Amino acid sequence: MKDIIIKITGTSGQGIISSGDILSYATARKGYYVTTYRAFPSEIRGDGKCYYTLRISEHKALTATGETDILVCLDTDTIFEGIGKIKKGGVLIYDSNLSIENPPKRDDIVIYSLPLGDIAKETGSERSRNMVALGIVVALLNNLHLEEQILKDIELRYKAKAKEVIETNKNALNAGVKYTKETLIRTDKYSEVNMQSSGAKLIMSGNEAIGLAAITAGCRFFSGYPITPATEIMEWLARELPKFGGKMIQCEDEIAAINYALGASYGGVKSMTATSGPGFSLMQEAIGLASMAELPVVIADVQRCGPSTGVPTKTEQSDLFAAMYGTHGDCPKIVLAPMNVADCFYQTINAFNFAEQYQVPVIVLSDASLGPRRECVDLIDIENLKIVNRQKPDLKEGKIYNRYEDTKSGISPISAPGDKYGEHVITGLEHTEENAPTPAPEVHRQMTEKRFRKLETAAGEFSKAKTYGDEDASIGIISWGSTSGAVFEAIDKAKENGIKVQALYPRTLYPLPTNWIKDFVKNKEIIIVIEANYNAQFKSTIVERCTHINRGTEVLEFLKYDGTPFTPEEIYEEIEKVSKLKDDRYTLSTNKHTHF
Amino acid sequence: MEISEYKGRVKPSWCPGCGNHAVLTALKKSMAGLNYETHNTAIVSGIGCSSRFPFFMSTYGFHSIHGRALPVAIGLKQARPEINVIAVGGDGDGLSIGGNHFIHAGRKNPNITYIMMDNEIYALTKGQCSPTSRIGTTTKCNPYAWTADRINPVLMALSFNASYVARGYSGDIKQLEEIITGGLKHKGFSFIHVVSPCVQYNKVSSFEKIKELVRNLPENHNREDRINAMQYAFSPDGLYTGVFYQTQRPTYEERYQEVIAKAKQIAGDNCTIQDVMKQFK
Repeated sequence: MKDIIIKITGTSGQGIISSGDILSYATARKGYYVTTYRAFPSEIRGDGKCYYTLRISEHKALTATGETDILVCLDTDTIFEGIGKIKKGGVLIYDSNLSIENPPKRDDIVIYSLPLGDIAKETGSERSRNMVALGIVVALLNNLHLEEQILKDIELRYKAKAKEVIETNKNALNAGVKYTKETLIRTDKYSEVNMQSSGAKLIMSGNEAIGLAAITAGCRFFSGYPITPATEIMEWLARELPKFGGKMIQCEDEIAAINYALGASYGGVKSMTATSGPGFSLMQEAIGLASMAELPVVIADVQRCGPSTGVPTKTEQSDLFAAMYGTHGDCPKIVLAPMNVADCFYQTINAFNFAEQYQVPVIVLSDASLGPRRECVDLIDIENLKIVNRQKPDLKEGKIYNRYEDTKSGISPISAPGDKYGEHVITGLEHTEENAPTPAPEVHRQMTEKRFRKLETAAGEFSKAKTYGDEDASIGIISWGSTSGAVFEAIDKAKENGIKVQALYPRTLYPLPTNWIKDFVKNKEIIIVIEANYNAQFKSTIVERCTHINRGTEVLEFLKYDGTPFTPEEIYEEIEKVSKLKDDRYTLSTNKHTHF
Repeated sequence: MEISEYKGRVKPSWCPGCGNHAVLTALKKSMAGLNYETHNTAIVSGIGCSSRFPFFMSTYGFHSIHGRALPVAIGLKQARPEINVIAVGGDGDGLSIGGNHFIHAGRKNPNITYIMMDNEIYALTKGQCSPTSRIGTTTKCNPYAWTADRINPVLMALSFNASYVARGYSGDIKQLEEIITGGLKHKGFSFIHVVSPCVQYNKVSSFEKIKELVRNLPENHNREDRINAMQYAFSPDGLYTGVFYQTQRPTYEERYQEVIAKAKQIAGDNCTIQDVMKQFK
């Protein structure tokens, strides 16, 4: 076996996330691929359930979804929730100390009801049940040889805490391993799990990847306000930025956060903020200011279910309209959507480069399934990354510097306080090239065109859209952001079953690269636009902006808005359905489809 | 520096007789006295009549959005601590829409000066009540009766622990220059409340009326006594001007230097991206 899914579940406060994190670090550090999915309630403790899914594989896996191989349950409820989703021949581990009226039963799986609490108590603390369970998992997967590495990772995770904490956790883990080896009568087959290590790789979350990219791109100023699920970005930068002389400043609200960043950017320092839906709404006016005053700034929006407070811990892709059109007025900006954790890094590098080069706000759309998700990333070649800095004017005594000089590209060189002879006033009011405010009709027209011209210039620079699957497929999927893992896996499965599908991920969503879509759609009979929102936000954008494209192509939507990410299975089912309908001379009675 | 060197590209657009002209003159005088260089100085504002200020100066300037002068100014100062940063604005901008930022500026103590020109009215939108409008002010927005109490900016600044709190009056440029100079020299968040009458939309708080109310703080007022300063700010028998309070405590920038020093203690002076990357390996 070279690909397994482990799920650790329980109530928040039981250390589900810690044990999942430790296991994912250890497997990655042993050189295996791991990708994860975390779901937890917003309350730190209480009745909320926590779920941590890891998929460990020899080759890179794209999602952590599918049937469970090993399910570890630290509470009663999650046993009955999860037992049905265990693979035939899989394992259920739960605490025999839990008082359960009707113990779980399934004939086609192995059930280990073990005294996790007692074992933990013997080693010092009943609270270390999570580590005992982890020890059992590690021992079941004996041919992955994770023991030594996982002890190192326990030390790393708790290094800031008291020595006893580390010892208690290590003892509990060892006790779990010992119990499995010496006492447990094994009837499962997970000794067969055996994978080749594929060497050094990185493991990080989507939020950490955004933080790392910011520092790499030269960002030295971050201002933010805590909000789930984006807080991890500011926490990570709070720790790392000062090491580079940079600053992370916690503000009184999101309005302050973005305006701090704009002040810092005016000072010539690369700046960013990160937030989620409610904070993103509050930032809209200042995003317009950045657009009008032509100030570089990067905003990461780690989307969650909306509107309003919505479901803070669950995922959705429903801020696309807000990102593209949320600000009043004609507001040039750039919106990017990373597809996975590695792409969070590369798109954030792009975001800073675009912001600096084109002097526009750049929005990076992540989401609650991508931000906290930890997965393996191939080594990053830092030295060969292209890093762009804003264009400086040629300043001389007696030479008048006009901040908003109307150039061919639309880009005007930009000075910063401290630069002699570069003094200028920037403003959110419409202004002349000489930065004087004016209501003159010809100036507003000219300067609006100047600001949008930058986007035309930028369009040539966007990194290529990602395609996946067979080019000659007649079924196409157009999607964006974190859905990519599930979509690509579904395409693989479809191929195995004789259905050819090709996917397109533009990654740059605004300005919309219509040419890419045009090229992609050329030979497609049916397009399915897949996204996690009710309004089909990307589909309506494509349909609206690409009416000139291939009128024969049928454009369908496949939407999800329950807060959970897409799974490859449900996308495959949709592909299958669509392909059958196509064969039946495709006719749909629903109104959920559109022609170009 | 000569005062004339601070003249901006745009001619002041305020009404003739507006109190803000005096503030512009006083600030230029203070800056000239302290030899502030135009390229090392930035004036930051929000929206309102007084917020047009940066256009009338030859320094760097950022005319931002309504209520946000302080966050922009503090952000700039944190990114570039060596630049002289002065935030300016009105009572509506700083006490109403931007009120929250005022609280936290006091708490953080960034080394910037904030000059609030208080005309007790929204003038750019042609006369509506502001948070400092007096009893009896009627406008098109409250044509029948006056409906809310006014707030006291000096008392607020004192309670927010601003480290320099002063009040001036547009009718006295000499005193205004003194307290602005004191504010610019002060290390920390200096708040200068300027009663700056509007000649167009506020008949209740006219120059004549304010002149009757204004009196200097006593010569022997102890600037370090915050409670006493609050009593003068509260005083019903007039509008005191002068420096209410001044204290020294570490600025936000200084405190952040400690953060950087601690981080560098852990990471070393020459931390590289590769070093940071290790945590992911």
